[in-house]
Amino acid sequence: MSAQRRGRDPVRIAGWWLRWALIPAALGIWASSNLDVHSLPFVGAERESAVLLLDGQAYFGHLDDSGESGWLVLHDAYYLQDAKGAPTNVAVALAKRGGEAHEPADGMRINRDRVLAVERMGLGSAVARAIGVEREILATKPGVLELNPPSIAGAEQLAVQRTAAERAIARGFSAQVDQLTKINTELVLPVSKADAAAITQKALADLRSLRRSALAALGAVVGLRPGDAEAYAASADARLEGQSFTNEPGVLLAPDINAVVVQATAFFSQTGDAAAKQLTQPRATPTPAGSPQPSATPAPSASPSPRP
Amino acid sequence: MRAGSVAVAAFLVAFFFTQWWDFTVPALRGEYQAVFLTNGQTYFGRYYDRFGAYAKLEDVYYIQQAQGTDAQGPGDARLVRRGAELHAPEHRMLVPKTAILFVEDLRTDSPIATFMRQDRR
Repeated sequence: MSAQRRGRDPVRIAGWWLRWALIPAALGIWASSNLDVHSLPFVGAERESAVLLLDGQAYFGHLDDSGESGWLVLHDAYYLQDAKGAPTNVAVALAKRGGEAHEPADGMRINRDRVLAVERMGLGSAVARAIGVEREILATKPGVLELNPPSIAGAEQLAVQRTAAERAIARGFSAQVDQLTKINTELVLPVSKADAAAITQKALADLRSLRRSALAALGAVVGLRPGDAEAYAASADARLEGQSFTNEPGVLLAPDINAVVVQATAFFSQTGDAAAKQLTQPRATPTPAGSPQPSATPAPSASPSPRP
Repeated sequence: MRAGSVAVAAFLVAFFFTQWWDFTVPALRGEYQAVFLTNGQTYFGRYYDRFGAYAKLEDVYYIQQAQGTDAQGPGDARLVRRGAELHAPEHRMLVPKTAILFVEDLRTDSPIATFMRQDRR
């Protein structure tokens, strides 16, 4: 068979197109179906994904979804949890995966059968900003060859979060001061006025001391040196005195900053509750001691045995 | 050389064509769909049944139940466009097909479709 006839052979022509056009096209369709082109590692802004699970939980992070496997892998994962009463004026708090009791390593594998939806997160969203600040606090450095370089918040965002945390601390402080004021003005207390004033003054002093400690801890978390953190705490403490910020819109805080607020709130509550208990419970009246009893005659100590 | 170029071109054309079209035929379906999920939630939007593990939903809305003035009575329901949440998601959502119970077209004159159409303007 001549070369010319071979070139016109319809079977050969079909085989050529199958090998060099149809199979690559089928591969292209398969690859496109299993890849989200918006998530390809092109140079550019960070790609943060939100993975919503069937149980209502949502995780945020860098998603690795190969498509054909039954698992999604989420790196640098964060999630939302209950605010635990922290007065941030936001119903939820952001937590970084890894701080749990079992201290999981990075790389959370999620069963796709339990996934409800996958979304691209807005980089200007409250969650993204809080994650950026947390990376700044943790001094995260993007790798040189990182395909999805993490965005790290700058000083401006850090200042926004610090101010929001200061105000959350002030709200926690005010709530306890208000509670003490209410108890003193609205209730008939079983303790004398002098005792009530003394208990209240002591509690207020303790609360102020706690507020200052919380502000110093906040200063340390945002990267101030110990001396600077103390100076910052003193100035912020004076600035916050007498302010409550009750109806101010909340800011979703970075996990480390939120931890300071949660801890301060817990200490404020403990101090306030202890003072409230002292104010509302009658003091135990000292009962007359029984007639003095003659002390027991000291028993003679055992005679020293001769040493060998 | 020529064969390799044809293969690369075929791959790329198929890849981007699939990203663009999703193999859905808009004329044969409603403008908007309701997607009922296995956890009881329902999303409304433009549903694209893609190849692969995920379906795509664009311009997503959902019904939000707000507490009414009467604590005992049913809350007020309102249709909310997805995007204003704390993580400010983009307008497209990928849903694993295993999480979908069923999909229905919305009638063009349904209140939800009408609201979504007007809201997009």
